[in-house]
Amino acid sequence: MKLAVELGGLRLKNPLIAASGTFGYGVEYEGILDLSTLGGIVSKGLYLEARDGCAVPRIVETPSGLLNAIGLQGVGIRAFVRDVLPRLARYDTAVIVNVCGDTVEEYAEVARIADAPGVAALEVNISCPNVKKGGIAFGGDARMTHEVVSAVRKATRLPVIPKLSPNVADVTVFARVCEEAGADAISCINTLLGLAIDVERRVPRLAFGTGGLSGPAIRPIAVRMAWQAARAVRIPVIGVGGITGAEDALEFLVAGCRAVQVGTANFVDPGIYSRILDGLQSYLQRHRLETIADVVGSLRFPEAEAPGEPRT
Amino acid sequence: MGIIRGPAVSSASMPTTPATSADRPPVNRDVPLVRRQALDGAYVLLTFRHPEVAAGARAGQFVMIKASTVSDPILRRPFSIMSVDGPESTFTLFLKVVGPGSRALAELRPGEAAGCLGPLGRPFTAPPEGHEAVCVAGGYGIAPFVLFGDELRRARRRSRVFYGGRSAGDLQLRDPFAALEAPLACATEDGSFGHHGRVTEAVEAYLDTRPGPATLYACGPDAMLHAVARLAEKRGLPAQVSLDPWMGCGVGTCLGCVVWIRRDHESRPKYRCACTEGPVFDAREVVWA
Repeated sequence: MKLAVELGGLRLKNPLIAASGTFGYGVEYEGILDLSTLGGIVSKGLYLEARDGCAVPRIVETPSGLLNAIGLQGVGIRAFVRDVLPRLARYDTAVIVNVCGDTVEEYAEVARIADAPGVAALEVNISCPNVKKGGIAFGGDARMTHEVVSAVRKATRLPVIPKLSPNVADVTVFARVCEEAGADAISCINTLLGLAIDVERRVPRLAFGTGGLSGPAIRPIAVRMAWQAARAVRIPVIGVGGITGAEDALEFLVAGCRAVQVGTANFVDPGIYSRILDGLQSYLQRHRLETIADVVGSLRFPEAEAPGEPRT
Repeated sequence: MGIIRGPAVSSASMPTTPATSADRPPVNRDVPLVRRQALDGAYVLLTFRHPEVAAGARAGQFVMIKASTVSDPILRRPFSIMSVDGPESTFTLFLKVVGPGSRALAELRPGEAAGCLGPLGRPFTAPPEGHEAVCVAGGYGIAPFVLFGDELRRARRRSRVFYGGRSAGDLQLRDPFAALEAPLACATEDGSFGHHGRVTEAVEAYLDTRPGPATLYACGPDAMLHAVARLAEKRGLPAQVSLDPWMGCGVGTCLGCVVWIRRDHESRPKYRCACTEGPVFDAREVVWA
């Protein structure tokens, strides 16, 4: 129980969650690892209907990172509830549905359908940079963020966890808006908007043009934003961005995050969860700490004011 | 743990658990390099210890692998399994250094490790009774046909291999086929070895002389795969092609390797993951770019 955490009504056996879009629907990893190792799994983003997503190429590698424009290819919420949820029921892990929509109404409708037995919480995707409607179009606008999160809040009894975009001037504004709209926690951050160019052909390397950057390249930015968000709101913050090992996860926890999500690293090594859990256990021992909660927010920041840190 | 397959749905593809020949799930482990044999040019043979791949891999399947000695680039790379050695618990890759990921692997020293998940993907399936297996390889696409040749020889099936490249230096993997009793015909675009021209021309010339039925198998560049698919369609022959799109995870979660595939009963093609529903597809199902 040393690793158990509580996130706005959502109890996790440990603070490690698989990030949306990097772990499929979970069932793809059956047989490769024991899904019960994870504190939770966030599904690939789900709309009302199935989607084809973007044309290929969809992913390119950049220094210490991955630039992607998948465009939320998915099976749709009904197929997920009907075909995938029963398969996940045998595992002791929290299933979190990533809720998408082209309109506020669609978000609410997906949330209503996702409020099904076996679902532990809803993550609200207001930050995907790779779709023309919804996604960042909502998460980049404080008024729309409030509207979407409120609509999802009204549609479900489950914990509601908006996933914030880093592609904004001040992430704390959006963290507060989510809190006011009734969010139980926030995930921080989604991918950073990027562009990689094939200079020989003078075209973007991704078919969609721009993409979302993930991986270790974005970790310091993610830690900084999660830290800012955690100081700005009372609801728990889930840190996401470039985690590849226990030390990376600890950075987010020390910065004030109650839990973390592992994303791109899932593609690299499906064995990462047991590796991080071992690392967290030995960290607790080494520092003579009782529980992982003792680590959360334990950052001792220099006395001088942090540059760019808004006064609260 | 057994494999549980989801029911088929008519919308975008449902997740499929990575398939292996005996429905054995792939195994993720650190694998030490056992042997390294540099060939001419940028080609190298690498042998790793991985008991489950050695015991269960079928021709056309692949591993996702990355040298543990480097952190960047971050992703593992897919490579066809060239051969397996059950008693030694090893598998061997034939690879060409084309970028930093393959270079890091090629520079591993015996004893150093790589992170490896496999075996992955759907393998080649044996030709119908009475068919000769006609294998067409371009460049490093030759790798799976060593294992396939071995499977066919054990099953007492007839096979032959056509091996093409730009020049003689690209045809580095000829020796194994002598032991497999599979006739090997080579083609080079510059005429430096074998038939002067494209490998598919050599295949056509052979099919022109042959009365018996044949199934075509192809692995290599897209243009070659497409040419083989056209050739098979023209002659009414079945063909299986191993696609090699950019691949990130190998298990159907990154959705980077999708290809347009249209199955018989479908009104429109769907994006399907080459890693889990391929890499080997019936050539007639592929919607060519």
